[in-house]
Amino acid sequence: MSGPQDGGRLAAPTTPDPDLVDVLTDLFTDYRATRATPTADVDLDDGLWQRLEDLGMTRLTGSESAGGSGGGWVDAAALLGLAAAAAAPVPLAEHDVLGGWLLEAAGLPNDGGLRTVCRPDPSGVALNVTWARDASHVVALWEDRDQWRVADVPADRVGIEERRNLAGEPSDTVEFDLDDLEAGTLVAGEVGEQFHLRGALARSAQVVGAMERIVEIVLVHVRERHQFGRPIGRFQAVQHLVADIASETALARAATDAAVARAAASDWRDPGMLFAVGVAKSCVGHAASVVVRGSHQVLGAIGTTLEHELHTLTRPILARRSEYGSLHDWDETLTTLASSAGRDRLWTLITTGRAKPSGSGGLT
Amino acid sequence: MSARLVPPGARELPALTALRLEVRAFLAEQVVAGAFVPHVDTWLTRWDRDFTRELGRRGWLGMVVPTEYGGQGRTYLERFVVTEELLVVGAPVAAHWIAERQIGPSLLRYGTEEQKQAFLPGISRGEVVFGIGMSEPDSGSDLASVRTRAERVDGGWRLTGTKVWTSGAHEADAFFALARSAPLDPQHRHAGLTQFIVDLRAPGVTIRPIISMGGDHHFNEVHLDGVLIPDDRVLGAVGEGWAQVTSELAYERSGPERVLSTFQLLAAAAQAMDDGRLPLDPGLGRHVARVAALHHMSFAVSVALEEHDDADTAAAVVKVLGTTEEGDIADYVDTLTATGWALDEELDTLLHAAILQRPGFTLRGGTNEVLRGVIARGLGLR
Repeated sequence: MSGPQDGGRLAAPTTPDPDLVDVLTDLFTDYRATRATPTADVDLDDGLWQRLEDLGMTRLTGSESAGGSGGGWVDAAALLGLAAAAAAPVPLAEHDVLGGWLLEAAGLPNDGGLRTVCRPDPSGVALNVTWARDASHVVALWEDRDQWRVADVPADRVGIEERRNLAGEPSDTVEFDLDDLEAGTLVAGEVGEQFHLRGALARSAQVVGAMERIVEIVLVHVRERHQFGRPIGRFQAVQHLVADIASETALARAATDAAVARAAASDWRDPGMLFAVGVAKSCVGHAASVVVRGSHQVLGAIGTTLEHELHTLTRPILARRSEYGSLHDWDETLTTLASSAGRDRLWTLITTGRAKPSGSGGLT
Repeated sequence: MSARLVPPGARELPALTALRLEVRAFLAEQVVAGAFVPHVDTWLTRWDRDFTRELGRRGWLGMVVPTEYGGQGRTYLERFVVTEELLVVGAPVAAHWIAERQIGPSLLRYGTEEQKQAFLPGISRGEVVFGIGMSEPDSGSDLASVRTRAERVDGGWRLTGTKVWTSGAHEADAFFALARSAPLDPQHRHAGLTQFIVDLRAPGVTIRPIISMGGDHHFNEVHLDGVLIPDDRVLGAVGEGWAQVTSELAYERSGPERVLSTFQLLAAAAQAMDDGRLPLDPGLGRHVARVAALHHMSFAVSVALEEHDDADTAAAVVKVLGTTEEGDIADYVDTLTATGWALDEELDTLLHAAILQRPGFTLRGGTNEVLRGVIARGLGLR
C-alpha cells in the first residue's frame, strides 16, 4: 500500500527500546534459570536488586539530573512487565516509578536508598505497604486537608507491623508520626491525583507481564504433557482453553500499552489518562480471572504445588489487580465516565479518554 | 513477551484524527436531519443506496482503491477510521459493506485490468452493489467442501449449485461465487476451486429469501442453474480460489464491524443509566473498557496489515474477542431491563434487535470455534 497522499504520518508505534528489552530479557532469563525453588513467603532479592542497580534499572524513570536514567513510561512498563514475568522480588514500581517520581515532584533529594510508597490515612497509618520492611525510607503522599504533601520518612521513624499479601510478599502496616507527615513538602494537586493512576498503570504492566509468562508456561506444558497417547495440546478442548488464555492476555496487553503510550506521549498531562488507565485496569483485572483460572486448569495438579513456577505468577497477579483500586472500583469509575458521556459522546470518550473535546490541543 | 499474538499498539496521529472528526461531524448532521435512524448491526441489516452513494460522493468508499480506478488512493488506516465512525453511529452501510470490504481489495489483487475498470469505479461511487457467495447448504465452516460445480464450456463456464446466507443478494448487482472447477481430490481438498464474478440478473439465477428469526429478510438462497459465466468473469486463476479467498481473511476478520455491531445499544444503555432509566451498574464500565481495548487491538492489526505483516492469527483474536463482546453487550443490557419498569421505546428497539442478531455475530465470517483453532495453530498447537 502506498503511504498517505499528504505524506503525513497516520500512526505512531509505541514499542520499548529494543536494546533495553534485550538486556532485560537476558538478565531475567538468567535470573529464572539460577534462582532457588519457589517459597511460600517471598523476600527481597538483594543480589538481583544490586544487578538492576548496576544497570541503572532501579532509577530508570528518574531524570538524569537527579541521578536517574531518564527513561520514559514505555521503557518503564517494559521493565515492570519483564520483571513480573520472572516473578522478580524487587520493588521497581515502588522505588522508582512511584517513590522516585514523588520525590522529584516534591523537589526532594533522592540518595538512592531503597524506597517504598504509601498514602497514609488521616491518623497516619498506611496498610499493605509493599516492601516497607526493606526500605531505607518510606515516601508518603499525604492528604493534608485539601492539599497534598510528600514526606520522605526514614524507616527508623516509622512503626512497621510485618504482614504479607496473597503473593507472600512483604505488605506491611506502616504507622507514621503525624509530625513527619505534616513536615512534608507541598506538591501540586495533580500529583495526588496522578499517584493513583500511576500506581494503577504500573500494576497493570506487571500483571500483563506475568500473564504473558503464563502463556509461555502453558504452551510448553501442553506440548510436553502426554495423556491418552498424545500431547494434551492436541485435544481441541485444551486448545480452546489455551486460545482464550492467550487472547485475554493480548487484550489486556493492548489496553495497557494504549494507556502507557498516552502517558508517555503527554507526560501524563493528557486529560484522558483517567479513562485510559481505567480501561487498562479493568481489562487486566478481568483477564486475570480467565488467565489464572484457565492456566491452573491446563497445568493440572502439578501447577498447584509450591515447587512449580505457576503460583509465583498467579498469586502476584491476584494480589496486584486489587491494588490502586479494586476491579470493582475501576469499573465503577468507568461507568461514571461512560454514563456522563451519554449516548452521543460515549465514542468520543472511548477514542480520546474524555467526553468533551478540549481546546487545549491535547491528544485525540 | 515472546508469545505475542497481536502486533504492538500504535497511536493514532492527528492526520487520521482529523479525518475521523470530519466523518463524525457529517454523520451527526445526518442523524439530526433524520437521514437515518441509528440502529444495531447495520452492516448487515440496514440498506440505503442513497446514503451509500452520498458516502461515495464524499470520498469515503473505495478508499484503498487507486485513483485510476475511481477510488481514493488512501490507506487501510484511513479506511479503518471511516468505517469505525460509520459503525458506532449505527449508519445504514449494508449496501456497500461487502463490496467495499472484500470485493474491491480482491479485484485489485486478482482482477484483470478490464475487471478493475468495469467494477471498481462503480464500487467507489457506491453504485455497484456486491454480495459474496461462499457458504452452501452443506458447507459452512468447512468451505473446501463446496459443491457448486463449474463446468468448462465454449467461451466460459457453467455454474450449477446453491449458495446460502448470501446477505443482500436480492438487492445486489453481482456476487463472487466460489465453485469447484475440478473434481474433489480428497488428498488435496483445497485444490480445484475457482472464484467467479456472477451477474445476479443473469439467466439461470434464482434468488429466494431466507427469513431470519425476527422476521427480517437479509439472507438469501441463490440457486445457480447452469449460469453461463464468460471467461472474462473468472476472478484470478482457475484452481486458485482457495488461496484467493483465504488471503483476504485478515481484513475481513479484524475490522471494527467485529466489535461494534451493538455499539448503539451500549451507548443507549449509558444514556439510560445517566437518565436513571437503568440502574447505574459497573458492568457498563467493564463493557466500555473491553470495547476500548478492542478498538486499540483492531487498530494495531490494521497498522500491521498496512505494513504487509502477517496478521491472520491476530485477526482471529480480534474476531473471537470482538464478536463475543458485541453479543455480550446485548445480553448484559437485557439483564438490566425489567419489563414494565420504565418504558423506553428506543432502548427496547435496539435491545430486541441486538438479541435477535446476536447468534449470527459469532457464526459469520468463521465460527468462533473454528477461529479458536486458528489461534491455537498460531500458537503452534496444530
